[in-house]
Amino acid sequence: MPDLATPTRTAPALCIEGLTYRYPNADRSTKPASSPPGGPNVSFALRDVSLTLAAGELALLAGRSACGKSTLLRAACGLVPHFHGGEIEGSVSVAGIDALRAGPGELAAVVGYVAQDPETQVVSTTVAAEIALPLEMRGEPGVSRARAVEEVALALAIPHLLDRTVDTLSGGELQRVALAAALVTRPRLVLLDEPTSQLDPVAGDELIWLLRRLNEEWGVSILLAEHRLERCLAAADRVVAMDSGSVAFDGQPVDFLAWAQDADTALETPGARLFSLAGIEPLPTGVRDARRILASTEAVGGGRAGSPDRARRPVFRPAPLARAAHLEAKNPARGRDPRPSLDAMAADVRDLWVELDAGETARDVLRGIDLRVDRGERVALMGRNGAGKSTLLRTLAGLVEPVRGKVRVSDGMALLTQNPGDYLVRERVGDELPGEQGLAALRVVGLEHALDADPRDLSGGERQRLALAIALAGRMEGDELPGLVALDEPTRGMDRARKQELVELIGGLAGRGAAVVVATHDVEFAAAFAERVVLLGDGVTIADGAAAEILSGGWYFATEVARILDLPGVVTAEQGAAVLEAECL
Amino acid sequence: MRSPFAYTPRAGPLQAASPAAAVAYLGSLTVVAFLYSNPLVLAATGIAAALAGRLAGADRAVRAAIKLGLAIAVPIVVVNALVVSRGETVLARLGEWPLFGQVDVTAEAIADGCVFGLRAVVVMIAFAVYSACVDPDRVLRALRPIAGRSALTATLISRLVPVAAADAGRLRDAGRLRGPAAAPLGRAALARRLLAGSLDRAVDVASTLELRGYGLDAPRPDCAGCADCAQRSRFDARFYGIGTALLTAAIGAKLLGADAFSAYPTVQVGVATSTLAVSAVVVVAGLGPLARRRRPRRNPARAIRGSEAARA
Repeated sequence: MPDLATPTRTAPALCIEGLTYRYPNADRSTKPASSPPGGPNVSFALRDVSLTLAAGELALLAGRSACGKSTLLRAACGLVPHFHGGEIEGSVSVAGIDALRAGPGELAAVVGYVAQDPETQVVSTTVAAEIALPLEMRGEPGVSRARAVEEVALALAIPHLLDRTVDTLSGGELQRVALAAALVTRPRLVLLDEPTSQLDPVAGDELIWLLRRLNEEWGVSILLAEHRLERCLAAADRVVAMDSGSVAFDGQPVDFLAWAQDADTALETPGARLFSLAGIEPLPTGVRDARRILASTEAVGGGRAGSPDRARRPVFRPAPLARAAHLEAKNPARGRDPRPSLDAMAADVRDLWVELDAGETARDVLRGIDLRVDRGERVALMGRNGAGKSTLLRTLAGLVEPVRGKVRVSDGMALLTQNPGDYLVRERVGDELPGEQGLAALRVVGLEHALDADPRDLSGGERQRLALAIALAGRMEGDELPGLVALDEPTRGMDRARKQELVELIGGLAGRGAAVVVATHDVEFAAAFAERVVLLGDGVTIADGAAAEILSGGWYFATEVARILDLPGVVTAEQGAAVLEAECL
Repeated sequence: MRSPFAYTPRAGPLQAASPAAAVAYLGSLTVVAFLYSNPLVLAATGIAAALAGRLAGADRAVRAAIKLGLAIAVPIVVVNALVVSRGETVLARLGEWPLFGQVDVTAEAIADGCVFGLRAVVVMIAFAVYSACVDPDRVLRALRPIAGRSALTATLISRLVPVAAADAGRLRDAGRLRGPAAAPLGRAALARRLLAGSLDRAVDVASTLELRGYGLDAPRPDCAGCADCAQRSRFDARFYGIGTALLTAAIGAKLLGADAFSAYPTVQVGVATSTLAVSAVVVVAGLGPLARRRRPRRNPARAIRGSEAARA
């Protein structure tokens, strides 16, 4: 039995055996896998989980929302059960330290944890003090503290931030600072809970490759929970997929893709979906892998069954073209009408300048934006963190006063901000939306059946729809929607299945005549719903055009399929599969 | 939008000084403001605090403190004028008021209220300069070994106050974005939602503190090698010195009668030499954060080349 708080060099970074856990006050509705017949019915967040992570491994934790990923990470850093309470069975050890006996403070010497929301994981005023805090708590002398802070800041490329206050940092910078604070004690294991969910594609990719570099150079084991698998699958050594609190799959990334194809297509990456629709094997774990497979496919003219190395050789299994064509027809991303009618204008912005207070000085956040959106259009507003997307939406909604330019919004506007929970202040859906107009708004989002429900009991997607109904209520004439419906980063922390529901909701709103503008970092989501993409960069419009054109013409703001095929106008797996099959035939 | 009172790291003597030295310096100005009622000395203290803020680069904080201080000072003057009927110079007889009785507004009561208000403004400026220039992390670090629980509470508050302010701003925006037919937000609902959100935030921050090892009974760092203790600022002596000198001068001058002021029955403001002298000393103390600008050293080789070129 290892000592309570002494890490062992030879021990695996993380060893979990038969872990079953229930949060305090959880519903007593479902039975754990290990409970004896006739035992109590209890809702378990984790059910009989066994997992071993070797030193120096980078593992990806996949699964739908609420499948137990975050709980597993909390158990590995000691927050479960020491901080959250609840009932727990089984064993968890981190670098040989028994996590069920040692608290999170003791474990912090060997494990670092980075949560989803960077804003709630900083506790100091300046970046340097935040990074130094874990060492200070351990009584490290100032000299070694200063050295450790300097080294971790250099490793994460943030030495220029050390003297800044945390409230002046962007989301991406804050995420790096949180990672630095987790790494400064040189832990054996780092746990990250959806670290890229609030980052733009550039910052997200940078973070993943930074983790890979730390993993390779420092030998840190990494367990990374993510929904956007296409971003990190190529960097992972291994994938652990969870379902309803249990481990459903544990193996190599390429095997995971094959498993997801059969078990849960919501976990497929766009690249894997492209290959599976086009009937190409093996499925690719990333863009580089996909290009290599496609190149070798062309070289061998398609693998043939019976060859000795069939498992490693790409194989064409052409799916019926009709299938891809059918999927193509379902895809809402189509070219927009190039001749908008003047009557159909939903919002018109001319030479818009917005200045916001940035501490000591004011900063031009929007610089001469021109934008016109017509009724029925589905527009994705994209750009890196701080490009001005949210400010543009807030200006359209009248929350921000422009310093120059004209803003016209005809027929009203409903804006759903980044946190739908901010709209929900009462304990009954019907109390939030009273009367006939409230009911009409609930009908638009498909929640008319939930009048008596408590908003807190609704699922994440339902809460978002309820918040949208609250924004719409009274802005509709009869059943007619306002001219413009805008959503700001609606897919944060969403799994692919919920994103698909949102795509359908957006399609429904646009189908009823509203212009829908969505500010998003999620290129795959943008490709799924948008017909037009407006790309902002530092307050100016960089590009404005058809989604297929914009999302296939770059590197960061391009879908995985576009990056694999590099063909103009091909952004979705369905479009790509159709092209590949046509070439094959 | 950042609060004007939020700490902003800048290069300057006041920011570089240890928290204790900064507190000694700004605290001495506050003590003078409470020690004196003479408007001349109070005004001098206000000028000194504002000057200190200006030299430390905290203009925004000073401006905001003056606005906030005036917002507090004006009601003080009004209430004092209505409540106190002493003084010989009656400006207005407002008759019998419920609760107040006979209300006579006198010039003396207004002058007395102005002194109270001026003191509030001065103290507000000194606190604003402290808030904008003294790193709260260093203050907490200094406090932790002495009072761990108080430091923890202060850490939570110092983090949660700006987060709660941001949450309140977001909730207000969401309230404005509610459709006209949605139930109105209402102050009670907003307050309840904000409280619930703050509790969630507090749990998140507490779990982060737990993960950083706040619950550990860590040994105090060895002060021999401790950067914070070993690298005391070279400006500490300056601020301790100014604070001590200021307090000594202020107390000595007060004993010599420099605080001559009485509002009733008629306003009498003493302008003795000692009053003028202490006022001058106080204003000069405001120059404490003045940074000495060094001339950039010239590279001797380049200087020689430059002079040769000039000769040529």
